[in-house]
Amino acid sequence: MLVLGIESSAHTFGVGIVKDGEVIANEKSMYSIGTHGMLPSRVAEFHAKVAKKVIGNALQKAGVKIKEIEGIGYTKGPGIGTCLQIGLLAAKTLAYRLNVPIAPVNHAVAHIEIAKHFGKLKDPIALYVSGGNSQILKLDKLSMRYRVLGETLDIGVGNMLDSFARSANLDPAWGSTVERVAKGGSYMAMPYTVKGMDFTFTGLLTYAKRQIGKARIEDLCYSLQETAYAMLCEATERALLLTKSKELCVCGGVAQSTRLKEMLAKLASLHRTKFGYAPNEFNADNGAMIAYVAEKALKSGHAEKLDACTITQKYRIENAEVYI
Amino acid sequence: MRLLSEGAEAKIYLVSIFGTLLLVKKRHAKPYRASQLDIMLRKMRTKKEAHAMLVAKNAGVSVPAVYATGSDEIYMELIKGKLMRDSAFDRKIIADVGIELAKLHSAGIAHGDFTPANILLTNKGVCIIDFGLAEPNAGIEEKAIDLLLMKRSLSKEFYLLFENAYAKAYANSSAVLRRLAEIEKRGRYQARTIANV
Ligand SMILES: Nc1ncnc2c1ncn2[C@@H]1O[C@H](COP(=O)(O)OP(=O)(O)O)[C@@H](O)[C@H]1O
Ligand SMILES: [Mg+2]
Repeated sequence: MLVLGIESSAHTFGVGIVKDGEVIANEKSMYSIGTHGMLPSRVAEFHAKVAKKVIGNALQKAGVKIKEIEGIGYTKGPGIGTCLQIGLLAAKTLAYRLNVPIAPVNHAVAHIEIAKHFGKLKDPIALYVSGGNSQILKLDKLSMRYRVLGETLDIGVGNMLDSFARSANLDPAWGSTVERVAKGGSYMAMPYTVKGMDFTFTGLLTYAKRQIGKARIEDLCYSLQETAYAMLCEATERALLLTKSKELCVCGGVAQSTRLKEMLAKLASLHRTKFGYAPNEFNADNGAMIAYVAEKALKSGHAEKLDACTITQKYRIENAEVYI
Repeated sequence: MRLLSEGAEAKIYLVSIFGTLLLVKKRHAKPYRASQLDIMLRKMRTKKEAHAMLVAKNAGVSVPAVYATGSDEIYMELIKGKLMRDSAFDRKIIADVGIELAKLHSAGIAHGDFTPANILLTNKGVCIIDFGLAEPNAGIEEKAIDLLLMKRSLSKEFYLLFENAYAKAYANSSAVLRRLAEIEKRGRYQARTIANV
């Protein structure tokens, strides 16, 4: 089946095309945040402007004509309302015009499923780390829903790094810059909070921000990153032992971090666990993962009626049924 | 030294010293994290765990005696018994567990992982083990979490027996029970299963 998926939950407008479980196009356009963060209405405006072009790019990359598309997927949530609306509108318009079935997709499920696909994993513990989210999950085979084993009790690790980057005037102000500056830093002690399989980041963030100007920026970035990722690893390690799972994947925007993947690979080998993840373009927000999950939903007969397609800003992963 | 059990944080070994069997709980290095952080965490936690066990012991809680501590290991008394998780238990035992937790909380300590996997049943009564996540200066919230973990692990009938015994034996129990009700209302905990290890 040839399925086109649209992702627009935050600053990226992404369009992917999947054919019989393989990704054949993954195009995107990203709203540039510079050093000031993002305004939802501006981002939505941006999405509306680039939608047509990104869809065209994806079709061209895949070498297929729009009329050949057999199904549409879109991100139902979680995400920013105004941004999700643009994706929904584009998806509905296409599905209506082409007269093909449509499937709503949970953004977090899509991140995990695409990591499983590229990592060749069957039933892993998933560490999902993005801007707003940081969760440790496992699929419950009875309900076919992901179950949260542990999670951040306050903010997501990505937003934590971004917030620090803005306060420290790093350019661009986000996590990957922290990782770049961290090279050449040395360790200083920072607040570390793990409770069982849950963790919190605000104490760490507040402390690191207070040190700006007092300590070397390299040392701050290095220590902030080391502390945050060690917390994630410890909670993940507990989840692995608890569930006796022998597979692990990492996904979501922060999974682009080389250091985090290096740490998780060591953790996995410590417990003779298979570790996998998707290439970076699929860890960042993207349309291919939406198409990938939508194809499974459509193939297993779970299309949604066009009129019933909506968005849900706070769409919890536990509420999304998974079709394999 | 014989390996007895392996947890996420520590390994437990059986050692014989002067013909006496002891347990060593050792926190091994985690190669995935920065070595300074690794050393600091293992040191702090070992110290905290040993400290919580000592305070508990002095408060009359049934816990293994601590014989010695190193920077990343604790030598402790070997308790002969069976995990409550793997045993059949009666109403008397449940009430005893409630009383032990009351003593622990009265001493200002929250256990942090209070489940039947960390309670040993011996022929001299119950014994609380694994203070790896214990908080010696616990607030109401941490104490309420101890009850919550037990609630998730026991049948309704047994939990009520446990809670009654706890409430009778701990002067400040009503504040903890009120907090427990609050925590349960915060949706996040409803959707989750707190795993029982
Ligand atoms: N003092 C003790 N006496 C007897 N057995 C013990 C004692 N301490 C621990 N154990 C055994 O070792 C296992 C793991 O110890 P624990 O302290 O709970 O470590 P972990 O943090 O790995 O859960 C327990 O479940 C129990 O079977
Ligand atoms: Mg234990």
